[in-house]
Amino acid sequence: MSGPVIIGVPSKGRLMENAHAFFRRAGMTLTQPRGGRDYRGTVPEIEGVEIAYLSAAEIAGNLAQGAIHLGVTGEDLVREMIADAERRVLLVEGLGFGHANVVVAVPQAWIDVRTMRDLDDVANAFHAKRGKRMRVATKYVNLTRGFFMRHGIVDYRIVESLGATEGAPATGAAELIVDITTTGSTLAANGLKVIDDGVILRSQANLVASLAASWSAEARATARALLDRVAAERSAHTMREVRSRFKAADAELVAEAKGRFGAIAPLGGPTSSGMLTLLCPPQRVHELAIFLREEGAETVMVASPEYVFARENPLYEALVSRLGQ
Amino acid sequence: MDAENRIARARDGRAEALVELYERAGYVRVEPAILQPADIFLELSGEELRRRLYLTSDASGRELCLRPDLTIPTCRAHIEKNAPVPATYCYLGPVFRDRGGGAGEYAQAGIESLGRDDREAADAECLSLALESAKHFGVAKPAIRMGDVGLFSALVAALDLPPAWQRRLLKDFNRTGTLAADLATLKQTPAAPVQAGVLAALQGSDPQAARAFVADLLSIAGISTVGGRTVGEIAERFLEQASLGAASGLGAEATAVLERYLSIEGDPDEALAALRKLAKDAKLELAATLDRFEQRTGFIAAGGADVSAIRFATAFGRALDYYSGMVFELYDPKDRVKWPLIAGGRYDRLMSLLGAPSPVPAVGFAAWITELEEAGGAR
Repeated sequence: MSGPVIIGVPSKGRLMENAHAFFRRAGMTLTQPRGGRDYRGTVPEIEGVEIAYLSAAEIAGNLAQGAIHLGVTGEDLVREMIADAERRVLLVEGLGFGHANVVVAVPQAWIDVRTMRDLDDVANAFHAKRGKRMRVATKYVNLTRGFFMRHGIVDYRIVESLGATEGAPATGAAELIVDITTTGSTLAANGLKVIDDGVILRSQANLVASLAASWSAEARATARALLDRVAAERSAHTMREVRSRFKAADAELVAEAKGRFGAIAPLGGPTSSGMLTLLCPPQRVHELAIFLREEGAETVMVASPEYVFARENPLYEALVSRLGQ
Repeated sequence: MDAENRIARARDGRAEALVELYERAGYVRVEPAILQPADIFLELSGEELRRRLYLTSDASGRELCLRPDLTIPTCRAHIEKNAPVPATYCYLGPVFRDRGGGAGEYAQAGIESLGRDDREAADAECLSLALESAKHFGVAKPAIRMGDVGLFSALVAALDLPPAWQRRLLKDFNRTGTLAADLATLKQTPAAPVQAGVLAALQGSDPQAARAFVADLLSIAGISTVGGRTVGEIAERFLEQASLGAASGLGAEATAVLERYLSIEGDPDEALAALRKLAKDAKLELAATLDRFEQRTGFIAAGGADVSAIRFATAFGRALDYYSGMVFELYDPKDRVKWPLIAGGRYDRLMSLLGAPSPVPAVGFAAWITELEEAGGAR
């Protein structure tokens, strides 16, 4: 007896769309049986999977507690909300969307402050002269504390802010902020600038596994099937299939293609008739094709593989090695 | 169950007897509120304390915490009552700290002595009462570690470093552990800062001219000033850096003195001899400070303590901002208990920071009951 593998997926907005697109690329159609406002979903392609639609923050919290097995959420939330994140969750895979940086930003008028070192000095002087610590408005209390500690900054106070953080210096609620930004334009519009070495975290959406969830044998098998699809999609996504047939194709030529263009020969070969199938990173395809023609190929065909299923599944193996037996 | 209850009672009895000992020595027992405004603790101890605090809030959104120690609550109560100094207090009760596991609630006893101007005698009395407390629990010869934050301040002042460096060194000394990095930076000739042009333009300016210059810079760049620091403060820092830049890195001499200072340790008499020699070699005006150090050692000896058993280290500090002079920690001599059994020191700045109308010299210590029992073999 064991329950389904539960995957937390963001319940609204672009994050949800992107997460759905990610699963679709990996051959999994997330469906909400009772329509768009349903907070439970299923994956018809894989048995024993249940989707829980939650906010990105709830997903991070549920991963930490082991209430869900896997989840799609931002690395910023994982690092902020989960104490000891390394021990409690595994970042399986960056998903290439939801990019944003958590940064330290100060008023542009502080033309004397460019580095964290400057900030340390200013914070120190501020405390000494005013008898008050400089205030940092943020919702990233833990990330801020860790980062400031690494930079030896002690003369500050955190003012928790749950929205419109970038306005805090202008309203006098704080002297500086730690916030998430994609382009920096909101910061600039509020008269703020990012400190040169003040990027705390370059975050993106991640597929995250909980190490605290109940990982029964069935749950592991389900996760394996699921991560197999993710890994196959990733391999396919990062490779082009290059095919040709010509007499001069031999092992030596394959070795050269591997060495020069990062190609692999997933099916072995070439065959005795010179039939050759290679996988090659997209940006090297043209060079590889030219090379093959120079070696004697009449025709070189290039296609995008839908999936590449390999015996080895690095994503699943990383998870299992962290879960132990 | 019965046995456990008996042990619990005996334990309480022992801690109670300790406070009675303090009362007999003239300390007035107080019981400050358990629920305290969180703001004061965070402002005084910094954000690092936050993860150790048990926080809550009242209906108006004011942040409150369960008291993490009894020093600040005792001092606050004293100020609120407008009580006269000198005043001496003692206490026994729970304090609450999140140590990442464990009960989170710990019994603490201790004393605070407020307003005595004879600092050296008060320091010595504080230490000897701490030693007596350890003995009370059967730890006759605890390992004694001692340092002196005030001595380091005096040295930094005597070295005549730029104010920014003085502040920085004192801050990092209070945190302990990162001074090596500071010294490495001190030795280097700083790379020309990006604002080198600004600094060169400002060299030799008076503060008013500098302020006008910075205001001009900002208005040319179309930057409006928002919150926090004033144009004057920004100008002032530029001036400070301009003077630092002129020195092109700090002399190897000053660095060598700091390094030599921080390597001094031994019993207080040995340390004093080394300190006097350092002051003489480096021609530093530290005589008055070192005389007081010697006086304090004399009082400690007169109190019956074995001075040669004290390990004094110039680099030893306690990671709390408000200590200002002698600091000490007593440990289990058999090293079975890793935490300090008793810890304390002089904190002359705290009362002003808490709102006392005039400076109040203060010294005290806190004793961890469970650790003392363990070290004394009661458990």
